[in-house]
Amino acid sequence: MRALFFLMVTGYATGAAASLVLGTGPLARWASTLAAVVGAAGGLGLAAGVCMGGAVFSLAAPDLLASAGGLAFSLDGLGAVFLALTSLVAAPSALYGAGYARAWDGRPMQRQAGFMLNMFLLSMSLVPLADGTLTFLLCWEGMSLSSYFLVMTEADHPEVAGAGQWYLGMTQMGLACLLGAFLLIAAGGPATFAQLRAAAALLPAGTRDLVFVLAVVGFGGKAGLIPLHVWLPRAHPAAPSHVSALMSGSMIKMGVYGLLRIGLDVLGGGPAWWGALVIGLGALSAVLGVLYALTEDDLKRLLAYSSVENVGVIALGVGAAYLFQSLQMLPAAAFALAAALFHAVNHAAFKGLLFMGAGAVLHATGTRNMNRLGGLIRGMPWTAALFLLGSVAIAGLPPLNGFVSEWLLFQALLPGIGAPSPLVAVLMVLALGMLALTAGLAAACFVKAFGITFLAIPRSPEAAAAHETAWSMRAGMIVLAAACLVLSAGSFAILPRLSAVAAPLVGLPAPGPVLRAGLTIQTPDGLAQMSPVIVGAGLGVVVLVAWLAVKGFASRRPLRVGETWGCGRVVQTPRMEYTSTAFAEPLRRIFAEFYRPTEDVSIDFHPDSRYFVHSISYRSAILPWFERYLYAPVIARTRLWSERVLALQSGSVHAYLAYLVAALVLLLGWLVATGRR
Amino acid sequence: MSPEMVSQLSVGGSTLVLLGGLMMLWRRGVAAHIGAFTFQSVALAATMAMVGWFAGDWQLWAVAALLLLVKGIGIPLLLKRMERRFGSERELEPYVNTATSLLIGGLLVLLAYIVTAPLVSVSRLPTRTGMPLAIGLVFVSLFIIISRKKALTQVLGFLMLENGIALLAVLGTHGIPIIVEIGVFLDVALGFIVMQVFVYQIHETFESIDVEQLNRLRE
Amino acid sequence: MRPWLLGPVQAAVALLLAPGLVGAIRWMKARLQSRAGSPPWQPYLELRKLFAKEVVVSSNASWLFRAAPFIVFGSTVTVTLLVPLLAVPLPFGGAGDLLVVVYLLLLGTFFLALAGLDPGSPFGGMGASREMTVAALAEPTMALAIFALAWGAGSTNLGQIALRTLSMPSEALAPGHVLAFAAIFLVTLAETGRLPVDNPSTHLELTMIHEAMILEYSGRYLALIEWAAALKLLVFFSLLGNLFAPWGVASVITPGALLWAAGTLALKLLALGGVIALVETHIAKLRLFRVPELLSASFILALLAVTASFLLR
Repeated sequence: MRALFFLMVTGYATGAAASLVLGTGPLARWASTLAAVVGAAGGLGLAAGVCMGGAVFSLAAPDLLASAGGLAFSLDGLGAVFLALTSLVAAPSALYGAGYARAWDGRPMQRQAGFMLNMFLLSMSLVPLADGTLTFLLCWEGMSLSSYFLVMTEADHPEVAGAGQWYLGMTQMGLACLLGAFLLIAAGGPATFAQLRAAAALLPAGTRDLVFVLAVVGFGGKAGLIPLHVWLPRAHPAAPSHVSALMSGSMIKMGVYGLLRIGLDVLGGGPAWWGALVIGLGALSAVLGVLYALTEDDLKRLLAYSSVENVGVIALGVGAAYLFQSLQMLPAAAFALAAALFHAVNHAAFKGLLFMGAGAVLHATGTRNMNRLGGLIRGMPWTAALFLLGSVAIAGLPPLNGFVSEWLLFQALLPGIGAPSPLVAVLMVLALGMLALTAGLAAACFVKAFGITFLAIPRSPEAAAAHETAWSMRAGMIVLAAACLVLSAGSFAILPRLSAVAAPLVGLPAPGPVLRAGLTIQTPDGLAQMSPVIVGAGLGVVVLVAWLAVKGFASRRPLRVGETWGCGRVVQTPRMEYTSTAFAEPLRRIFAEFYRPTEDVSIDFHPDSRYFVHSISYRSAILPWFERYLYAPVIARTRLWSERVLALQSGSVHAYLAYLVAALVLLLGWLVATGRR
Repeated sequence: MSPEMVSQLSVGGSTLVLLGGLMMLWRRGVAAHIGAFTFQSVALAATMAMVGWFAGDWQLWAVAALLLLVKGIGIPLLLKRMERRFGSERELEPYVNTATSLLIGGLLVLLAYIVTAPLVSVSRLPTRTGMPLAIGLVFVSLFIIISRKKALTQVLGFLMLENGIALLAVLGTHGIPIIVEIGVFLDVALGFIVMQVFVYQIHETFESIDVEQLNRLRE
Repeated sequence: MRPWLLGPVQAAVALLLAPGLVGAIRWMKARLQSRAGSPPWQPYLELRKLFAKEVVVSSNASWLFRAAPFIVFGSTVTVTLLVPLLAVPLPFGGAGDLLVVVYLLLLGTFFLALAGLDPGSPFGGMGASREMTVAALAEPTMALAIFALAWGAGSTNLGQIALRTLSMPSEALAPGHVLAFAAIFLVTLAETGRLPVDNPSTHLELTMIHEAMILEYSGRYLALIEWAAALKLLVFFSLLGNLFAPWGVASVITPGALLWAAGTLALKLLALGGVIALVETHIAKLRLFRVPELLSASFILALLAVTASFLLR
């Protein structure tokens, strides 16, 4: 265990050092990648060891930062799940990054990106290992800052700078909330989680509520829960794609981890409204996230909004766990939590894959705008096939892993309908409806994402000239695609482990509810079962038999290749195709009351007759509400105050000296007034 | 009849009565609205008769018969005459669109379920199970009155509100003395006549029965 | 008979009955409209013809276009292994419940929509966009109706739901049960492309949903897709027939019982087909933007079904 821990830390640290020392050539690139892969392997081994063995790994380093109480690390089941999902995405991302960063060879950003990537991986892997406020906040801030620098890698684009500002602002606001939460529990300063647990037990109810709300704001911001998600659709597209994959696949999950660590572990659960709050935020994020994803034309922004949706879905499960725990429905709580954890792991796999796919598209065509893409399946067969697999998984379709966790979440919410309180029952019914709507819209969204990007006729010369990506980038995607398959087929083996992790958190003895029967997974009461392996195998066999039968019995005449039928039009151009915007149009109209798009049509008529039209220009935009009603006023107010303060900055030395004297006099006056010496 | 059966039947009957209200939100045409109201009144009469049979109370039978006669046959006929006179104005642009109205209707029913839970828990009658749906109908009818523009639709919303109250009374207390019920009927009939006159006047003044026109009276 | 054979037997029966069901609905509709109509076995002839014909594929289409028919067909056939068409409990009953059935069908829709986009035809794109819109909006209704059913049976397991109604026949008329039936019936209309959501007999491009998506298909690919569509209709009908009124379904596996089950299934399918024919004769197609109203009405029915189940606990 210790060896694996040190392997992980030294791996990442070596990678960071290699980037600094070895220059900006291929050697540095590959050395740092290799070291990162070794680090990720160490992390995965460590997590697997804790998950399988069940024993807690701990390591204290009191000499590091001794004046503040020293650093301490320990890894329990919950942390292991999150360390595992981080390491799962880390290795493929590093591999992919090696190919992606080739364009930066010989430029200073190569050095910076390699260093920061390894620091990011290191600090993110240490977050779930941190045992104590000091260690936790250090790692947390390290993760935030290194990811900020990664987002800013290509800072020469103006949009990147804006995205960085949003990201930094939201992150630091979250950090302030977390500091507040930790200080409320243990006012004395740094403490280990064990000490926090003991202190939390003695807190009055009001303080506990306050701590929880602060944790929801602080961690929810990192997780991207609506309305704290605003940085996500800005920062994810701006970052290099393997960094987006890491941020979306792993980093936002750390918000979920923190919420579980503080809410369930340290505070030990709370009143029912905690659960209702998290379910509410989750349902909101899920539905709004997917609705915004649907209307997005920028492939990476679409994926970013889809991450908001998936975090919402995870939060539904987490909220249900809180709620059931407060109602003493412990097996149901453990089940809901296991389902949420499984979805977190699954999302890491397929979202990582999809971001890398989007990155490959960006790399090959230079655009993220789906209205300029299309037809890439011919130029980039590998990327297309892998992206398709990711799309099927994220759309929650059987037999892939997205469906498995979606199924589990549906089943996990079901016991809530039986809750004695009508309010809880109604809440669960609404949550179920929202979850189902989210699933349906996600399917539509990913038909669009894959279909418009990869199928049909290329909509721009860049898309027509697209080429397949480097092997290292493909390798990264293949690893995650394989992970999707393994997570689905092996779900019957993984779920009992997750159940064992979830059970102690909600106050059940260790093995937790039984979620497995042979090759099938089942609900805690054993009444509903499902087997992705058997369904997948059945599907495979049926498709194979159908294929053989058609090959054997149907007409043997060869395929004739013709032109697409088009009502007698002479030539087909890409302008005739459905675009990304057109695809989403029906849903945009149906949910118009929610989107409230601004529309601007101007028609240029022929000078002689209004019946002939020269040109029509149509412009429509959707500005999310939250930004209009929540953030815009705050930003405007801040700006206003900043401008007032600016008046102090006269630039005259005399004025500054006057400020100094005034401050000194005031300070002295205050000392005299309070009677100190 | 076993009490379980009565519980089931009162939920079933109340659901049908409530569906009449929700149909108002769904459909646009006046004829469909009148149809929904007729359907609702018949379902209400049937539910009353069922409760009367279970409770062995002849008065409820009488009320049910009266209801069938007045609201199931009489008022729909009158309404159809009004429709013929004013021409069928469809509820084309309600304040809240149809799909949203339906969803709000559903939420109102869930709200009714939550708020009536304490009320239901103190009752011992097997018919108590339908009470949340009756309150739900009251909410839905109020929503119809608020969100629709045509005077005729609003009159129907008002009549449905009364149906909801009658349903609540029957399920919650096994009926109201027939004297009270007749009094309420007269009240409603009077209200209906007043509204008919009102609608007629609106039509005379504005050539339309869209109550949005009333905003013009301020000027 | 070995129990595992039941799956293939069910699939075979379903595959055999499905074109007949579509033919019967067309025939009944024609009769109701005082037309002579084509005979009920016409779809069999059409399938045979299509399998024998040459395939024309668009030059813009990729491998996905050629793989999609097999995935659509395969996912629908897989569903027939899980749904209790003839007997409960099924040998593979533990492999998939009602949710698996719904999402396997959605998998087919997903690939069909992608195949619609693939040739780059505006009609295909339009069909795909509309089909996914309708499918997405139908999801919440389906989920709530499933849970109204599962609430009674304690499980989303299909066999369990059917067995419970068999053991407590009075439950078949319980309000929650009836409302859930109505909700799923409306979803069936939307999901299988029937009036008033989509017109299965139109070939006017601008009003089509399903037909627009598959406009580019021909020959054996079209045959597979048509067969899968008929099968999907059969699956929804048998969910309606066998979950809500499971009488006739075999609970012991003997040839006699299975034959009886196949007979009753055919009768139920005919009855529901008659209802569809009647509905399609009486109502006109809705505008696409009125479809959400229909689906929210079905959602309300499902919501009331769940509420009714709450009230009666």
